[in-house]
Amino acid sequence: MVLDMIKKMLTLSLITTGLSYAYADNWQATLDEAKGQTVNFNAWGGAENINDYIEWAGKNIKEKYGVTLKHVKLVDTADAIGRVLAEKAANNVNNGSIDLIWLNGENFRSLKENNFLHGPFSNDLPNYRYIDESSNKSLTLDFGTAVEGMESPWGKAQVIFIHDTETLANPPKSMAELLAYAKENPGRVTYPEPPQFLGTTFLKQALYELIADKTVLANPVDRVDFKQLTQPLWEFFNELHPVSWRSGTTFPSGSEEMIRLLDDQEIDVAFSFDTSAASVQISKGNLSDSVRSYIFDQGTISNTHFLAIPYNSTATAGAEVVANYFLSPEAQLQKQDSTVWGDLTVLNYEKMEKEHQALFDKQPRGVATLTLENLSNSVPEPHVSWVKALENEWRLRYAN
Amino acid sequence: MKLQQVNFAIVASICAFILIGVVGIIAPAFHYLPAINAYTFSLTPWVTLFNTPEFVSSITLTLVSGLAATFISLMLAFAAVAAFHQSWILRFFQKSLAPILAVPHAAIAIGLLFLLSPSGWLIRLFTTFERPPNWITVQDPYTLSLILALVIKETPYLIFVILACLPQIKANESLNIGRSMGYHSAAIWQKILLPAIYPLIRLPIFIVLAFSLTVVDLALIIGPNTPSTFAVTVFRWFKDADLNERFVASSGAVFLMILVFLTFLLWECTYRLLSHFAKKFRTQGVRHPTLSKLYPWVGSLYFLLLFFVSLAGIILFIWSFAKRWRFPDIFPSRWSLANIERNGDLLLDLSGNTLFVAIVSTLLALAISIVVLEVKRINTLNTTFFDRLIYLPILLPQVGFLFGIQIFFIRIGFSGHLPAVITLHLFYVLPYVYLTLHGAYLAYNQNYFIQACALTQKPIRSFFQIKLAMLKAPIFSAFAIGFSVSIAQYLPTLVAGNGLISTLTTEAVTLASSGERKIVSLLALMQSIFPLIVFIFAIWLPKVWTPIRIHLKTRLSKPFPPTLSTKK
Repeated sequence: MVLDMIKKMLTLSLITTGLSYAYADNWQATLDEAKGQTVNFNAWGGAENINDYIEWAGKNIKEKYGVTLKHVKLVDTADAIGRVLAEKAANNVNNGSIDLIWLNGENFRSLKENNFLHGPFSNDLPNYRYIDESSNKSLTLDFGTAVEGMESPWGKAQVIFIHDTETLANPPKSMAELLAYAKENPGRVTYPEPPQFLGTTFLKQALYELIADKTVLANPVDRVDFKQLTQPLWEFFNELHPVSWRSGTTFPSGSEEMIRLLDDQEIDVAFSFDTSAASVQISKGNLSDSVRSYIFDQGTISNTHFLAIPYNSTATAGAEVVANYFLSPEAQLQKQDSTVWGDLTVLNYEKMEKEHQALFDKQPRGVATLTLENLSNSVPEPHVSWVKALENEWRLRYAN
Repeated sequence: MKLQQVNFAIVASICAFILIGVVGIIAPAFHYLPAINAYTFSLTPWVTLFNTPEFVSSITLTLVSGLAATFISLMLAFAAVAAFHQSWILRFFQKSLAPILAVPHAAIAIGLLFLLSPSGWLIRLFTTFERPPNWITVQDPYTLSLILALVIKETPYLIFVILACLPQIKANESLNIGRSMGYHSAAIWQKILLPAIYPLIRLPIFIVLAFSLTVVDLALIIGPNTPSTFAVTVFRWFKDADLNERFVASSGAVFLMILVFLTFLLWECTYRLLSHFAKKFRTQGVRHPTLSKLYPWVGSLYFLLLFFVSLAGIILFIWSFAKRWRFPDIFPSRWSLANIERNGDLLLDLSGNTLFVAIVSTLLALAISIVVLEVKRINTLNTTFFDRLIYLPILLPQVGFLFGIQIFFIRIGFSGHLPAVITLHLFYVLPYVYLTLHGAYLAYNQNYFIQACALTQKPIRSFFQIKLAMLKAPIFSAFAIGFSVSIAQYLPTLVAGNGLISTLTTEAVTLASSGERKIVSLLALMQSIFPLIVFIFAIWLPKVWTPIRIHLKTRLSKPFPPTLSTKK
């Protein structure tokens, strides 16, 4: 009996060591193959700080692995999705122009469902060992679409609210308080127009707070009574719109416009998916330095953004090496620095080596950026099917 | 003979191009899109289209803004010309036309946005609010701000067109005769001249109408958004990450084409009806029409447009150099050049792309126009097929046609490169260059060229040195117009560049609604300055060209003859 167990353990350990050897061998093979490759990294290029960060990473990757990282600056990630589609249409199945793409949510679902992705690869990346999948649902469920190794986590976003302490000392910390505030101060509250993703996120946040049983949100929308469940949400908006900015006839285009409106004092509360947005905008002279960020009492929606490799990439090995580097504590630390980018790390603190933990501990934050502890109260994204359902219903009610 | 073949190739490739774009959009409208394995023809995209929540309201907004903008622009232009003909005011207006036409419409819209919004400059200048009022002054659901932006851009164009056809209808002679018979000038304009002008400018009016109904960039910046105008709605569907949205987008685009055509019909029918009933009034012999006092009033509204444009330009300039400018400050509290320094690389990059595309596409358009016009001259000047064809690029809604071309471009591996962007720009620049050059080129007295050939026996050299040199003024104006058309293109750059190539315009429109007012202003400002400079050169260069050339030639050749002669 005991002998049996020892035997089992031995074989198991043998298998695992064998596995890890094979694994290391595989990775070495990937590194060898990647050397000299050029990776066309298609990533939104609209923010200078992010572009600079990618350039910084590119230099390190070149030095360490001999892989050239070429940042193809996109105006809109959907353009790249369109290009993958068009290359398929043109029968270009092994000479694609995109090797790595920064995405999540709808864009990922679109590529994954059409089998336009290379993989699974992400779980086999050496640095994936720092990830704790149980720490955040969005690491394995990208807006409800199963990740299944088809994309590698890059960073974490969470909704934060922004207010100017000089005009609004005690900001509303729930949807109910927000509505009450709007009624007292007509025209000072707004949100981006769905289907802009932050606008849709606001719908989800409101729904999460207004619904009694929050577990139903994890179900596909066609398995629940959408009409009855969302009734409180539409009642909420019916009350909010008449007292919101421009009487609810027009909505901002996104976070940037809300921040501008906040600075102009057209509105009193803005929000963003970028936790360092307030600090970054203060340093640019776009917000006054009395501005601070906060989150709602019940927590705010958070999600993860990823890197994926199109099926027709010519440099899959190089792309995997780049994705792995972006997962390294070194790269994640630099990224989280609010003077660099301020994008939250996806790595788990407990899983990191001591020396890395110390570096993360020491990292300074921007004046208006919340600590990781302040941000710990997060709410998962509902199942992906809610997005279209909420957007359609919203447009049906308010956009015509 | 060779020229004829080149001409044929040009016409054939334009036809093929249009065909590809139109088929490329009609096929997916009936659920045929091989790229995402859709091979079965069906009507579902149309059913989806008619059932989208914003369909009716979106179309209503499009019709209201498009028709109102065209009608108002036309009335303003007529009134301005009729009321101020032969006065300094019209001459002053005339001087303002080129600059306004040269400035890209996106830049004007951005300026207006920063001017008119509740936290904008007008409110800062003329009110004492401590916080911006909760007013709806831009992106309003009645499309008023969109109509204003369109009117500002279209009125100068229509005034320009009307002025161009006055000699043709012998306006001065009619006015003299009419006055001698006791008619008030307003009566002569109303009864004789305007009815004579209208048929001549019908096509330009349709161009204005088509533009107003289908414009995307302008409506993105200053148009309403819940719902948006139909062209913007279709544009949004095309850009959706969900590829299945392409079907409804395509059917929407086809519907927009039909809508534009139907609106043309409606406009024309209304005109016929009105002119039929107006005949009675025209022949009643009334010397002083009751409306005569209205002309100067309506015409003076053009001053208001000029006022808006000037302020819009100034505010772009101020924002470009602002560091901190909060409401309700009238001027920035802190100024800086950091804006330009920090974005130097970006600006250089964008300007490089913008200028390269504009210059190459306009030069190509000039070459093509000259070939086609030469062939037309040889073929006894009849109206050619090309003369009609060339209006199609202007009249076809960009939002549908271009997405039809997009798939084709990607299929042949052309997309995302500068040549692709230049090709699409050429397609939109060519009509304007051709139409600008048309009159002057065909009016050229060919005997100069024949004489030159007889003297030198070098027809090609004579063609450049004599014919084109003599035509340099119209060639330079055509270049300036083509250049400014290219600079203003948003959708063609977006579609051909595929997100890989951006210009000042694409970047400015993308960022217009964002918080980056400083960088947007800078982009819009640069986008306006380039065409303005080219326009100034186009007017100035032909005047000084010959003196400068002769001066240079004598200076360069002077050192030699004296040395030779001294040797002797």
